[in-house]
Amino acid sequence: MLLKTNKLMKAFGGLKAINKVDFELPANEIRGIIGPNGSGKSTFFNLVSGVYEPDPGSYIEFDGKDITNEPPHKVGELGLARTFQLLRLYQDMSVINNVMSGYHTLVPYNFIDAVTGRKKIWDQEKVIKEEMMELLSFVGLADYAELNASELSGGQRRLLVLARAIAGKPKLLMLDEPAAGLSPVNVDNLMKILMRLKEKYGLTLIIIEHILKVVMDTCSKVTVLDHGEKIAEGAPSQIKDDNAVIEAYLGKKMDDEEMRKALAV
Amino acid sequence: MDKFKEIIRQYPFLGFIIAFIILMLIPSVFFTDLYQSHLASLICINIIVAAGLNIVKGFCGQVTVGHVGIYAVGSYTAGCMFLYLGSSLWLTLPAAILIAGLFGVAFAIPSFRLEGPYLALATLGGGEAIRLFIENGDFFMSTYGISNISQPVIFGVPFDTPDKYYYIAMPVMLIAIYFSFSVLRSSVGRAFMAVREDPISAAASGINVKKHKMLAFVLSAMFAGGAGAVYAHLPPGYIHPNNYTVIEMVTFLAMVVFGGLGHIWGGIIGAIIITIVYDLTRPLYEYQLFIFGLTIVFTILFMPKGIGGFIDKYFIDRRFKTKTGAMSK
Amino acid sequence: MKKINIIFSSLLLAASLLVTSIAQAKDIKIGVSFRMLSDVGYKHGELIQDTVAEWNSSGGINGKKVDLILYNDECKSEKGVANATKLAYQDNVHVIIGSSCSSVTLPMVPVITKAKVPQIIPHSTSSKITLQGSEWIFRVPVSSRFYKIVQAKFTAENAGTKIAHIYVPDQASMDFSKSMIAYVKDEYGVDPVYEAQAGEKETDFRSYLLKAKATNPDALVCSGLVDETVRCLVQSYEVGIPKSVARVANSVASKVEVPTNAGKAAVGVSYAAAFAASDTRPIAKKFVKHIKSRYGVVPGHDFSQMEDLLTMLKPALEKAEKRFSGDLASDRKAVRDSIAGITNFTGLASGPISFCAAGTPECRDGNRTPVMIEYTKGGKNWKTKVAGTVTFNASAGL
Repeated sequence: MLLKTNKLMKAFGGLKAINKVDFELPANEIRGIIGPNGSGKSTFFNLVSGVYEPDPGSYIEFDGKDITNEPPHKVGELGLARTFQLLRLYQDMSVINNVMSGYHTLVPYNFIDAVTGRKKIWDQEKVIKEEMMELLSFVGLADYAELNASELSGGQRRLLVLARAIAGKPKLLMLDEPAAGLSPVNVDNLMKILMRLKEKYGLTLIIIEHILKVVMDTCSKVTVLDHGEKIAEGAPSQIKDDNAVIEAYLGKKMDDEEMRKALAV
Repeated sequence: MDKFKEIIRQYPFLGFIIAFIILMLIPSVFFTDLYQSHLASLICINIIVAAGLNIVKGFCGQVTVGHVGIYAVGSYTAGCMFLYLGSSLWLTLPAAILIAGLFGVAFAIPSFRLEGPYLALATLGGGEAIRLFIENGDFFMSTYGISNISQPVIFGVPFDTPDKYYYIAMPVMLIAIYFSFSVLRSSVGRAFMAVREDPISAAASGINVKKHKMLAFVLSAMFAGGAGAVYAHLPPGYIHPNNYTVIEMVTFLAMVVFGGLGHIWGGIIGAIIITIVYDLTRPLYEYQLFIFGLTIVFTILFMPKGIGGFIDKYFIDRRFKTKTGAMSK
Repeated sequence: MKKINIIFSSLLLAASLLVTSIAQAKDIKIGVSFRMLSDVGYKHGELIQDTVAEWNSSGGINGKKVDLILYNDECKSEKGVANATKLAYQDNVHVIIGSSCSSVTLPMVPVITKAKVPQIIPHSTSSKITLQGSEWIFRVPVSSRFYKIVQAKFTAENAGTKIAHIYVPDQASMDFSKSMIAYVKDEYGVDPVYEAQAGEKETDFRSYLLKAKATNPDALVCSGLVDETVRCLVQSYEVGIPKSVARVANSVASKVEVPTNAGKAAVGVSYAAAFAASDTRPIAKKFVKHIKSRYGVVPGHDFSQMEDLLTMLKPALEKAEKRFSGDLASDRKAVRDSIAGITNFTGLASGPISFCAAGTPECRDGNRTPVMIEYTKGGKNWKTKVAGTVTFNASAGL
């Protein structure tokens, strides 16, 4: 198992945002996480990536290591990358610098080298830059490399966030609503790029997404959260027919026709 | 031009050697009197402080208003070592850098929990506390100031006049700039910027936010400490707590803001221009503070990234245009 | 590219402005570095400008025009040093007047000594300045080494030796109290009954004053800058220290704000100064009237010292000008020797001012006659009386 949680718990005051979630993810899978607003999807990400500290009794394991109480940068170093719902781009940095700072953990020289400014650093920096330019052209942002990230359009920003997360060559990539706010054409484009990246880098993916079509089309397995609890897990086709899921999402039972309509959005 | 740039990139030392030679020649070619040398030395000192301040404020985004206190620590380390041990600049400079670095650690700790104006208040308190401590300490000669701090002697030649001291201050400045460029152009500099832009996102990329905040504070404190020591030995070698007040801090900040926050040349451009303009407006002393206040306000309103950002925008726009232009063909 | 050109050309312009400050050898140049922060500070500057303008309109120095270059040093040594260096090497002045604060004048001395420019001090009193042994420095005000003796002696003889001290962490204020303490200890073998250093910018002295009151002192010393002195005096009555306890302040008490703001609390306060506005000599009366009508203030000794300085400088420059050769270095030396030759100058100062050739404190602390002044009425229409003058011999207090 690449990622494993056991009795994962987090309470904010009296509210149990995540309640005893057991989660297992083998390598090379694409997993979708769905659930209504406030069901604890983002909290789950924040717990795994170390932004929040889980409540006692929880256990998180990544790539065979216990990361339950590790700070976020340690988790990142181990090869778990993520994106954020609010993007959290480095607005005032150039596009290339955004991506290059995602490469931080792999930089081959240390701090002393950096301060003394030895020549080998410039060579290594050049190599890193070339590699990152390649990544940028892969996502189609190479022409904008020297622009400030704040000057990009919404769709380009989402691509940049993706590139930055992949720059560190993670083993597991967790995407928090990667397609939110995109037009259908852009969504397709994004998903295409995502699939190509997965192939190229051998990524394992977890995707939170409200656009159910994305989840149904790309994920091999879907986990459904509601009120902080895991209510269902299985292949997309199974989930589609799960009454608990439908109730959680739509608040009522639907016939097949209505269902298909809702999911097609 | 591009080829020249490429060579400089390949051999970063080369650029500094060229700059060193040019700066060595400037006094004999352009300077007509000793005061210009004095001013040049002051510019060098201000560049060191501003370049350091740019690391922590411009790149790492940590607001500090206490830097002048660390500058004072550097000056008084040098002053006291001279006073009690008779040390020369060669000993006081590394000692000042080291001790200032330790103070940098102390200044970094509040930044782990505080942000923006709250951090500014905490560091302001720190800086003022240092000044008041010096002002009330008999060990530091309190408000008498430490006078006649010696100038260095190389091969029997004392560097005790403004024209000679320039040759001490200038190389120290170049070394400082070299270090600042090296750091800021490396992955560490990028990490600083990432911490400035979004600490949560930076941590997700595996950047240790606390460590980099600490690094930025310590590095820039070392710059300020070194500058303080060079200032202490500047002829006639007199330091007094009056020279380390909030007004001086604002002047340093103005240099960085005017030159361009977060621009690699920012502090340097700002230090040169502000020091020269300040000197040219010296006879207009009645309006000086007014002019400076206005400059800061207008810079922030109309040129938020300072002169550095202005130049940057111009060059980058051009580069982008040529690229997309080529594509459309 | 145009924008870049504009930036570069303006930078070049700034640089060339810096380079081309050509000295005009024909005029006599006087450089001033001065603390011009407050209203009164600016008025001191105006006094110099007006006086030099008068010189020029009445024929200048032996027909030569006087060029005045006025810089502000904000009481900061860094700026004072820069001003002195600029005046000496770039503006090529014949003589420098400055500065107000001792901490600024102190580092200026090595600069002007190296540059060989005579400097004449209008206000700084710290004894350390002339102790540096420079042949190029002259002091018009009374040195702190005289002030501290006269104050201690006057207080001990007239009030008693049980003295309570409250001072603020300012060089002059601390200097004043500490040397007074040392003098009383040396001469009478008595320690102060109470001694406290207040914090910087502290405005509430009542806790110190209450402790001082408990010791039943003969005299209370409030040594601070204007505001602190006023507050300390007013609060001394608030905490109930009786009128019979003599109030002593440092030379700051000569400033008009002290009696104006302290009101009744100023009555009986004695201080030493170089000039009293209540001086009844005709020359002093005329000066007080003149300053009052022109600048709207009653002059303290800061004004009178500046006036004395300028009055003695004019004939000295006239004498030196006759020996001018056109070579700046020798002209400066001529000015220096001419100032050193001033003996028994009688102006507004309460005693004669004399300099001599050697670079010793004996020679260069020219004014050796502090005057003791006592307020007889506080408030807006304050009044003073001269309590006495003492002329010291040249080596006293060293």
